[in-house]
Amino acid sequence: MRRKPGTLLPLETEILEVAQSLVRAGHATFHGFGLAQTMRDENGSRSLTSHGTLYKALGRLEELGLLTSRWENPAVEGRPRRRLYALTGEGARVAEARAGKAVAPLSPLTSEPA
Amino acid sequence: MTPERMAELVAGWVRLYTRDLPASVAQRRVEEIDADLHDHIAHERARGISERRIARGIASRMVRGLAADAAWRGHQAKVAARPSTREETMNVSKAVYRSAARVAVGVALLLTVPLVVTLLSDGEAWSLWDFVTAGVFLAAIGVVIELAVKRVGNVALAIGIAVVGVLAGVAGEADDAPGLVLLGIVLIVSACALGVRARTRPARHSQ
Repeated sequence: MRRKPGTLLPLETEILEVAQSLVRAGHATFHGFGLAQTMRDENGSRSLTSHGTLYKALGRLEELGLLTSRWENPAVEGRPRRRLYALTGEGARVAEARAGKAVAPLSPLTSEPA
Repeated sequence: MTPERMAELVAGWVRLYTRDLPASVAQRRVEEIDADLHDHIAHERARGISERRIARGIASRMVRGLAADAAWRGHQAKVAARPSTREETMNVSKAVYRSAARVAVGVALLLTVPLVVTLLSDGEAWSLWDFVTAGVFLAAIGVVIELAVKRVGNVALAIGIAVVGVLAGVAGEADDAPGLVLLGIVLIVSACALGVRARTRPARHSQ
């Protein structure tokens, strides 16, 4: 099923909101697994968001200009380099607008994503 | 199964569904999932989660994301097939116009034969409807040949054209019109050629 151009899925909105709360907590960037872990903790869920769903949503948010990404530089020895995402100004504006509409605001972060 | 072994399986799946995509797109997805898997295993081990449960969690994330992986691949393949620059778009437009002109000239030349016969002979004459029907079928054959030569089009289109060919053959048989049967046969053969050429189309690695 095709969605209307410019509309956001609940997962995409959630990513923006979590990214916004990470910025408030002093984390300007985040990476895929860290985001999945934070969302799991926020939701009290037992499982992490699937790879396909998570990275497809991140890619779409980037295409929409709500996120930007770059490779971690320099790479940390002993593990693969991470792709780091950051909210754009427009992304922050959308996240604020969505958070304002939400019935229950996100609870404070309980763990760091990185 | 160990988490590392499961991570290898996931990495293999990622390499499979990114196959034939532009190298930069495929590489980014492969590296991003590799980093995710590494972080996943390290984080869960640090939390004291059992090896089996970590492996199960990785497998679960892969399986739940299969549909999204397939959709993402489809989207990326579509983006890669799109002309990326204004110049490429212009070239595509020119190529389409040239193909259309070739088909139109070819059909017109072929139809001049029955037209001359109709005008000069006292025997069987073609009606306007005959010319229109023959023109449509000949144009369809021309389009299929153009598509097959350029290796564009797809198997679904080939099947559709083959169906039109069969209908032309059946109509020709019913009306005792061997020319129509012949056109139907040519359409079916052209559709087969298009299907084969479309399936053997080389992958595009433009980025």
